[in-house]
Amino acid sequence: MAHFYESTLIDTVDGFQCKSYANEHPEGFVIVKPKYIPKETISGEGLKYRFLFEKCFVRFNQFAAKDKLKGYVKQFREKFPDYVYDSDLHKNWFYVVPIDKIKTVHDCRKGLQELLSVPKKDLDEYLTLVRELVDFLVQSGIKVEDIGITHSTLLGNYTMGKSDMDLLIYGKDNGWKVLEFLKTAKHHLLKWKSDEEWAEYYKDHKTSESSHFTEEEYVKHMVRKKYEGLFGGTVFTLFTVEEKDETWFKWGEAEYEPVGLATINAEVIDHYNSHVRPGYYEVKDAVLVEGDHETPNIDEAIPIKRIVTYSIPFVQQALKGEEIKACGLLELVKPKNGPQYYRIVVGYFDAYLNERREKEFIKAEI
Amino acid sequence: MHFYESSIITTKDGLHCQVYGNEHPDKGILIKPKYIPTNKIECEALQCRFLSGKKMNRLNLWAEKNGLANYLEKFKKAYPQYIYQSEVHDKDRLFFWAPKEHIERVYFPREGLAELMSMPEDALDEHLAVVYKFVNFLLESGLRLKDFGITYSTLMGHYIYNMSDINLVVYGKENFWKLMEYMERAEHPSLRWKDEKEWLEFYKKRNRYNIFEKNTFLNHMISRKKSEGYFDNLLFVIFAAEKEEEVWFKWGQEKYSSIGMATVEGTVTDHHSSVVRPGCYTIGESKLIDSDQDIDVEKVVFYSRDYTLLAYTDEKIQARGILEKVEPKDGKPYHRIVTGYFDSYITDRREEEFIKVI
Repeated sequence: MAHFYESTLIDTVDGFQCKSYANEHPEGFVIVKPKYIPKETISGEGLKYRFLFEKCFVRFNQFAAKDKLKGYVKQFREKFPDYVYDSDLHKNWFYVVPIDKIKTVHDCRKGLQELLSVPKKDLDEYLTLVRELVDFLVQSGIKVEDIGITHSTLLGNYTMGKSDMDLLIYGKDNGWKVLEFLKTAKHHLLKWKSDEEWAEYYKDHKTSESSHFTEEEYVKHMVRKKYEGLFGGTVFTLFTVEEKDETWFKWGEAEYEPVGLATINAEVIDHYNSHVRPGYYEVKDAVLVEGDHETPNIDEAIPIKRIVTYSIPFVQQALKGEEIKACGLLELVKPKNGPQYYRIVVGYFDAYLNERREKEFIKAEI
Repeated sequence: MHFYESSIITTKDGLHCQVYGNEHPDKGILIKPKYIPTNKIECEALQCRFLSGKKMNRLNLWAEKNGLANYLEKFKKAYPQYIYQSEVHDKDRLFFWAPKEHIERVYFPREGLAELMSMPEDALDEHLAVVYKFVNFLLESGLRLKDFGITYSTLMGHYIYNMSDINLVVYGKENFWKLMEYMERAEHPSLRWKDEKEWLEFYKKRNRYNIFEKNTFLNHMISRKKSEGYFDNLLFVIFAAEKEEEVWFKWGQEKYSSIGMATVEGTVTDHHSSVVRPGCYTIGESKLIDSDQDIDVEKVVFYSRDYTLLAYTDEKIQARGILEKVEPKDGKPYHRIVTGYFDSYITDRREEEFIKVI
């Protein structure tokens, strides 16, 4: 097991740009989502292209047309088998970067410190806004050292007016502190989407995730999340990442036996880990309910205790005390120490290549 | 050794450098450091930029001179590996280089542009869409795509739409001249040339008022520089890079000894190599105008792009710079005037050196 911060950019020796996709990783590997892959290595029919750092890259998009995505992933697995990790623990696979294939790790925390040391007069409009946003977030009580920048904000290939400002908050307590602060904080540049704007967004951006929600349900879920807003007219996104001593699981301390697609109803008893990737909701009184699939057989004596998400749209989806409904891969968790339990997992990489992409969701009864 | 001008090199310790010339010593590439991380040395006289997750100083040779001189002294101590002591120049001459073992990556303008032009048009952002359209316009000159490259921020991906220039490289002097002929007569609704005001801004920035009378400067620039203009309101600058078979000198084949500052007048007999860096005007009927020495100067050489496309054959020019005796390995010694060595920017020579048509 190894700790490596989520949402950190990694350049590989084969010219990929990847984003770490968890905080806990198998020894010798970092679980990632490939973000940009040089077009010269695999043609990206059906995927979008981007010109970055001298090269034409294919932007890896898990929501591309499924047949095209399947073809692309097949080529990827054949050409770059080292970047796919077959986990015996999960009987599933993950995209990874082997440690010896890492060329550069872009340090998000250090990047922000560098940015803050640039005289204000030398910052462009976009970076000025990032700086003001950071100044504002620090008012939540977290230290500036607990914030990082990532994606184009860090690498400098942003486009003012188009690129989001992507910030990391280091530490789960810090993450909640900022999210709490944002519930009531005021700033002349800060704006949240109104109910009407979320409704409009719902209509304009139909996704497989949102398809499980009515417009009203979608608005209710989104309007109370504070990880995405507008600052000076530019979208900002906050990702909370776990420190080494606070990851909610350690790689290798349990085995996960896939059972099948399942839908459950339950009550959330703890949402503390629901703002990280992977995140989870601790639940009680979970019962299997009918869904758009066959209902798997389970051992009734073993409780369903967790709903886990790798998918960002389903973080911060439900709060303690709320009824929750989720559809995802049911797994039997066999910890090395402790009793067995079931969990539902949403957003494993393989889900994007099969029927689960359209079927998985997490929804609070609100 | 040949290596194309205007390629970009990143070094293992994070410097972004621009290749500076087409001929280089065998073990490294002559460069101008463009962005330098501030973790070792820092300079208030230089502007900062946040690039690749780092605070960088942008090396501007026209920055306040004392600040620049102090910075370069610190640079020599912090990064001695990037200072090249030329075996064929006087020890006072300052060159920067990237020894091969310190190079992290080379960004090739030709490959970069080929990649860019292979992109589906709908995948291009506003800046890249203008570049794409501009290159297609230039291809009507008859040059091929492989004769062009894209460099600086467009190549590196840290451009800012409406602020960043489009910097194009043309491979081959013949090709460049052919393109300039095309630009003389080409028309396009998106194309416009710099006006007086825009050239005067440049004139002020480079302290050119010490050298040129304003109207002379404008005459030189407006009528002759078809390598700079605007396309869809983005500033474009086109550079020439020499092919290996057409470089006007080979590194190591000549030795240069400085005689001192001098001003020369002469008539241009060949301007063909005046489009590259270092560029060169071959002159005849030369005369040193501030010296009693009877020295025949054959070449006026410059490192600053400001002097490209300035004078044509049969025109009379005046130039002030370092007078050097040149001793070729094969051939007769001759003399030349050089403007724009890096060391000139931290001395009075920065304001003194010039080339102008008279």
